[in-house]
Amino acid sequence: MGFFKKKSNSKIHSNSISASQMMTTSSTNELKANLQENIQIIKDSIGKSSDIIIREIRIGKEGTIKAGIIYTDGLTDTTALQNFILETLMLDIKETELQEKLSPEQNLITVLKDFAMTVGEIKELTNFEVLFTGLLSGDTIILIDGYAQGLIISNRHWVERGVTEAAAQVIVRGPREGFSENLRVNTALVRRRLKDPNLWMETKVIGKRTKTNVAMMYINGIANDKIVKEVRLRLDKIDIDGILESGNIEELIKDGPYSPFPTILNTERSDVVAAELLEGKIAIFVDGTPFVLIVPAIFVQFFQSSEDYYQSADIASLIRLLRFFAFAIAMLAPALFIAVTTFNHVMLPPSLLISLAAQREGAPFPAFVEAIIMEVTFEILREAGLRMPRSIGSAMSIVGAFVIGTAAVEAGIISAAMVIVVSITAISSFVSPTYNLAISGRILRFGFMAIAASFGLLGITIGLIALLLHLCSLRSFGVPYMSSLAPFNLSDQKDTFIRLPIWDFFTRPRLINQQNIFRQQDSASAKPEPPKNKESEGG
Amino acid sequence: MKKCMFVLLILSSILTGCWDKRELNELGIMLAIGIDKVEDEYRVTAQVVVPSEVSTKTSTGRSPVILYQENGGTVYEALQKITKESPREMYTGHLRMLVLGEDLAEEGIAKSIELLSRYWEIRSDFYVAIAKDMTAEELLNVRTTIENLPANEMFNTLKTPEATSTSTNGFTLDELIANLTSDGKEAVLTGILVKGELEMGSNKQNVESITPAAQIKYDDLAVFKKDKLVGWLTERDSRGYKAILNNVHNSVTAISCPKGGKATLEIIQSDSKIKGKINKGKPEVDVNIKVKGNVEEVECQINLNDQETIVELEKNTEKQLEKTINLTIETAQKQYKSDIFGFGEAIHRSNPKEWKKIKEQWDEEFSEMTANVKVDVKLVHTGTEGNSFLKKIEVK
Repeated sequence: MGFFKKKSNSKIHSNSISASQMMTTSSTNELKANLQENIQIIKDSIGKSSDIIIREIRIGKEGTIKAGIIYTDGLTDTTALQNFILETLMLDIKETELQEKLSPEQNLITVLKDFAMTVGEIKELTNFEVLFTGLLSGDTIILIDGYAQGLIISNRHWVERGVTEAAAQVIVRGPREGFSENLRVNTALVRRRLKDPNLWMETKVIGKRTKTNVAMMYINGIANDKIVKEVRLRLDKIDIDGILESGNIEELIKDGPYSPFPTILNTERSDVVAAELLEGKIAIFVDGTPFVLIVPAIFVQFFQSSEDYYQSADIASLIRLLRFFAFAIAMLAPALFIAVTTFNHVMLPPSLLISLAAQREGAPFPAFVEAIIMEVTFEILREAGLRMPRSIGSAMSIVGAFVIGTAAVEAGIISAAMVIVVSITAISSFVSPTYNLAISGRILRFGFMAIAASFGLLGITIGLIALLLHLCSLRSFGVPYMSSLAPFNLSDQKDTFIRLPIWDFFTRPRLINQQNIFRQQDSASAKPEPPKNKESEGG
Repeated sequence: MKKCMFVLLILSSILTGCWDKRELNELGIMLAIGIDKVEDEYRVTAQVVVPSEVSTKTSTGRSPVILYQENGGTVYEALQKITKESPREMYTGHLRMLVLGEDLAEEGIAKSIELLSRYWEIRSDFYVAIAKDMTAEELLNVRTTIENLPANEMFNTLKTPEATSTSTNGFTLDELIANLTSDGKEAVLTGILVKGELEMGSNKQNVESITPAAQIKYDDLAVFKKDKLVGWLTERDSRGYKAILNNVHNSVTAISCPKGGKATLEIIQSDSKIKGKINKGKPEVDVNIKVKGNVEEVECQINLNDQETIVELEKNTEKQLEKTINLTIETAQKQYKSDIFGFGEAIHRSNPKEWKKIKEQWDEEFSEMTANVKVDVKLVHTGTEGNSFLKKIEVK
C-alpha cells in the first residue's frame, strides 16, 4: 500500500516541474519592441525544429522597416503566403499610395491590418503564448521591428483525409458520409443538416501541450440549459497536457468511471449527431478524430441505429427487439449453458439432456473450463483479426474456423455443444450497433460465466439483479441511465424497445429536455391519410 | 486490510460455491425405476442410460441402458446401494417411468412411493404403471426397437394413447397421490406387460428382428382400494371409466346399425359432469355426458344423407355408451367395491353435511347407490363420402 502512495506522490511532483518549465519558456512574457530580440526568443523556444520558417524582410520606403514572417512549413498554405502576404508587403506597397501611410509616424501594425493584407482572418497579437499557439496551428505571424505587437494571419492548410464513408457504423439505408479528422469539416457537415440559427457552437482549447480544439454544439432552446452548463463545467475542469482523441475527453468527463457500461455515446455519422441535437442533446467535437461524443446518453440508445428511423417502423421495431435479445445472448449464453449443464439439469428437456451427456462423454475438462478455453480462443482470434495486416486476414480466418470449429471437437478437448454456444455468443456480440456496448457485454460475459460455475442459475439471477441495480444507479449528465424505463415514461416508449411511425413522434424524450418538448404540434394532421371528401381530393 | 478482506470474501464464495456442481459426464441418468417386494425387503431396479450408446456417433451396438438392482429395507436404502454399485452419481431429475410390481401393488403401494414424492430432485411428472402378472424387474429388462431407450418408449406410448386409444391412460405421480388421498375417490393405475417371450426381451436379437420376440404393451386399468390392488378392469370397463372421468379424446367406438351391420364412430369431444345428491337419505349421482363424434366407417345399409338416420345412429350410440358405462359402474360397485369414479367426492361437494354421516360406511353405500347415466351424442361429420359405396355394389 505505502509503495503505491509514494509512487503517486512523485508523479505529481514531476508533473509540476514540467508545468513550470512551460511557463518560463513561452507564456510569461509579452512581445518585445525589438524584432531581433523577438526572433531570438522564438528560436530559443522552438529549439532546432526545422519546420519553423523565419523569414526576415525589409519593407517600406527604401526598405527602412525590418519585418519578420514566421510560419510552420507543412501547416501553412505557402501559395497564399506568397501571393497575399509576401507580395503585398514587398512589391505592392511600393507602388501604391500606401507608401505614404507607411511612415514611421503611423502605427504600422494597424495600417497593415486595415489596408494592406488581402486575407480573411487576421488578428493582432501581443504575447508569445498566442503567437506560439497560432504558429503551431499553421497561422502565419508577422512581426515588425519597433512594435511590441504582431499580426497573426490564418492561412492554415495541410493534407488531410476527405469525407469518406463511415467505417465503424455501417448502415444499408441512409447517408453514407462519415466525419473526418478536421473539426471544421465535421461541424460544417452538421451545420449543413441543421440550418437553424439556434444551432450554437462553443469552442474551447483543451490540453496544455496539444492545444486541441474542442467544440460543443447544441440547439439553443431545445437543449436543457442545466445540462449545457454541466458539460461546459466538466470540459473547463479538464487540466491535462494532451487530448488526442475524443476517447480522452470521454474518460475525463463521463459518469460512472468504473462502470463497464458507456455513459457517453460516440458516433462518426453526421445524421446521428443532427438527430441527437434535435432531441436536445449536446455534441462534443474534438479536432483530430472522426468520433463525436454525444451527451447525455441513456442505455436504450446504444441499441438504436440511425437506420431504425430510415427503414419502415415495423421492421425497425423487430430488429431493435432482436438487438436486445442478441445482447442478452452475448452476455448470458455461455453462463446459462454452464449453469444448466453443471447445476440445474432439471431445466433441460430429457432428450436434450441425454444428447448433451452423450457429447460430454470423455470430455476432459469441466464445462466452465471448456467455456473459458473457447471464449479466450475466440477473443484472441478476434483481436488478431483486428490488428493484423489485411492481406493475411483470410489465412487467419481459416485457421480460426478450423481450430474452433472442428479440430477442438475431434481431438476430444471440447464438446460440440460448447462450440455451438460460443459461436452463437460470438455472432450475437456483433449485432450491437454501438461498439462500446458490445464491449460491456463481452466483459460481463466472463463475470457471469464465473458466477454460473459457482452458483448455477441462482448465481446468474443474483448477478442479473445486481447488474440491474447498477444500471439503475447510473446517470449520464444528470439523466438517469435507464430513463424511459426507470423512471418509467409512457410517451417515451414510442422509441424505446420498438419504434412507432414518425408521425406518432410528438414529443422529444422527456427527461433530456424540459423546454420545447413538441416535435410536431399538429398531431391530427401528422398521420398520412387518404382525403376524406371529394373537394380535397380535387384540390 | 479492507481490500484483503474483500478479496478473501470473494474468493471464499467462489471457491466454495462449486460444492454441488455435477458435470453431465459424472451423472448416471436414471430413466425408469422399478419397485418389487421380495420377502420383507424392497427390490429396486434402476434403468440407467449409457450416454455413449445413445449418440449415433459413438455407438458400438451395446445396450443403451444398464440395469442396476439392489434390495433394501426402504426404497431409499436400495437406491443408495445402487449409487455405490455404479461409477456415477445417480441422477433422478429426469425420471420417466415408475413401474410397480403386481405383488407389491397387492400389498400396498403408498409406502414405496413416499420417497419419490419427497425427494427434491425428482420431478413428479413421470408416469406410474403396474407390471401385470410379472415383476417390475422383468419388465424393465426388455429392449425396445423404435425408441432406443425402453423408458422413453414406455413414456411416449403412454403419452400418445392418451389421445387415441380407449383403454389405457397415463397417471403421473401427482395424480396418483391425489387419488390415493382423496376422500371418496379410489385410485386406478395403468397396467403394463410384456407380450411374447419374456426371456428373450433383454437380448440384442430382440431388437434386431422385425417382430420382436418380446414387446412392451399397455393393458387395462388396475383398480385400487386404498393403496392396495384389488383387480383389473376389462377393456370395456376401462372405456367406461374414461368416459365418466372425462378422459375420452379421439376414441373409437363400434356401434350397431339400425338394420343390422356395424358402423364405427370416433368420439372427438366428450364432456362429462358428475353431480351428487342425497335422495330420500340415499346417495345418488347423475352422470351427464355430452359427446361429439364423427362417423368414420359404415359397413351397413344406411342412408347417411337422411337426417333421421343420423338421429337414429345417435340414439343407438347413446344406448350403447350408456350400457357400457352402467356395466362399468356395476363392476366397480359389485366386484371391487371401489369408488374409482369419485362419486363420493361429488356427494361431498354437493352435500357436505350428509357426506359426513355416510362417510364412514361409504364402501357399502357406494355399492348400493344408484347412478343415473345420461349420454347425449351429436354426430358432426360423416367423412368425405356421403353414402357408402358398399350400397352401390349390392344394388349391382
